[in-house]
Amino acid sequence: MIHLVRDVLDSQLLARRGLKMGKVDGIVLELREGAAPRVAAIETGLVPLSRRLGPGLARRVERLIVDRGLPVNPDLRIPWAQVRREGIEIRVGIDAETSPAYVCERWLRDRVIGRIPGA
Amino acid sequence: MLLCQSSELGRSDEFLVPLTLVGLVTLLVLASEIGGVSLALQLATGIAFPWWAPAVAFAVWLLLWKGTFGVIEYGVSLLGLVTIAFVVAAVRLRPEITELGRGLLPSLPQHEPAHYWYIAVSILGASITPYLFYFYSSGAVEDGWNEGHLRLNRVVATLGTSFGGGLAAAVLVVAALVLAPRGIAIESCEQVALILTTSLGRAGFWLFVASLGIACFGAALEVTLAVAYMVAQGLGWNWGENVKPRHAARFCATYTVVVALAMLIVITGVDPLKLTLLAMALTAATLPVAVVPFLFLMNDPFYVREHRNGWIGNGVVLAIILLASVLAVVSIPLEIMGGS
Repeated sequence: MIHLVRDVLDSQLLARRGLKMGKVDGIVLELREGAAPRVAAIETGLVPLSRRLGPGLARRVERLIVDRGLPVNPDLRIPWAQVRREGIEIRVGIDAETSPAYVCERWLRDRVIGRIPGA
Repeated sequence: MLLCQSSELGRSDEFLVPLTLVGLVTLLVLASEIGGVSLALQLATGIAFPWWAPAVAFAVWLLLWKGTFGVIEYGVSLLGLVTIAFVVAAVRLRPEITELGRGLLPSLPQHEPAHYWYIAVSILGASITPYLFYFYSSGAVEDGWNEGHLRLNRVVATLGTSFGGGLAAAVLVVAALVLAPRGIAIESCEQVALILTTSLGRAGFWLFVASLGIACFGAALEVTLAVAYMVAQGLGWNWGENVKPRHAARFCATYTVVVALAMLIVITGVDPLKLTLLAMALTAATLPVAVVPFLFLMNDPFYVREHRNGWIGNGVVLAIILLASVLAVVSIPLEIMGGS
């Protein structure tokens, strides 16, 4: 048994090779007619995170990221079937390097941090 | 397909509030530390402290960029031993044992009560700084500690805290014996610099400068790292002092920005002494939001299994942080309004 809010929400996301890929910022349930709700996916990104502070804020954040083309992950959904719980962390079978969740990390590494001597 | 998102399951901003509050206060603490190093350099050279801020900030950044966790940990602790000069001075001033004993009991102030409590709160804030939790616990991860290190952890925590507390007490004793009989109320850092000369002569001045500079530089390194740890771990990024910067780009970018922001505060020329008192008092005020989440963790069997806090531990922690924060919330406005 797993408690979604206590054990999954806000947990550390680990991608392949143990790379840290953000936190579980949201959980998506599928509501079915005449049947119990089913967990469909987990979400990570600034939009689901800000949605928890208010839907209006989330819309503004999303527009800001999309309109300005900011190097930030707005929202990445990972199907529940790919999710595994390991201790206090959540492991997903995703390659972080090529995933949208790594947009900011990649951008900073390639444009800023990686260009400073000694990086 | 109908979808229901967790936002509808329950709001959870209990992380963002501590993150923002503790982040802002810690930034002020970092500015005080960079200010402290700059002040030591001003005392040594005569060049005003704001001019030193960029060089100090760069030195902090360079050590974080190039150094490993071990270099920072051991380098700072070894050099920090210079502060033992205060213990030597305190002993040489021959304090009366009975007076020392009486000083251990809290007493009510005879004059300027608001200012007294403000300083008392600052000292409390300086003793229980949340940034140390983040630094120390992240350090345990950096050094690869496991359950077998729990005993070592107890020893380190007990000895370290006692040693630090002893040093702080020595500073108070020296201040009381040197300043109070002469009726000196500290207004500027030049006055503080002479605090060791009564007992240690000319060397005392340089020992004070070195103590101030090194202690603040060490703290600046730790505070900067603590903020980066807190942000990176809170948002789930790669982090660590022992990995190359390019493998933890957001973590490194965070400490770079943090050092730069703190430097800007010092460049404005705000008095580091006043800034330190304010930063520490604000630390005390924000202790509940910073420490209560730790209490939850330390009582969560899922995280710490059988190593949960006992009720005495929980009670003592709660009592101290509540006391500190109530005193802070009362005394900060009074101090700012200049009341007595």
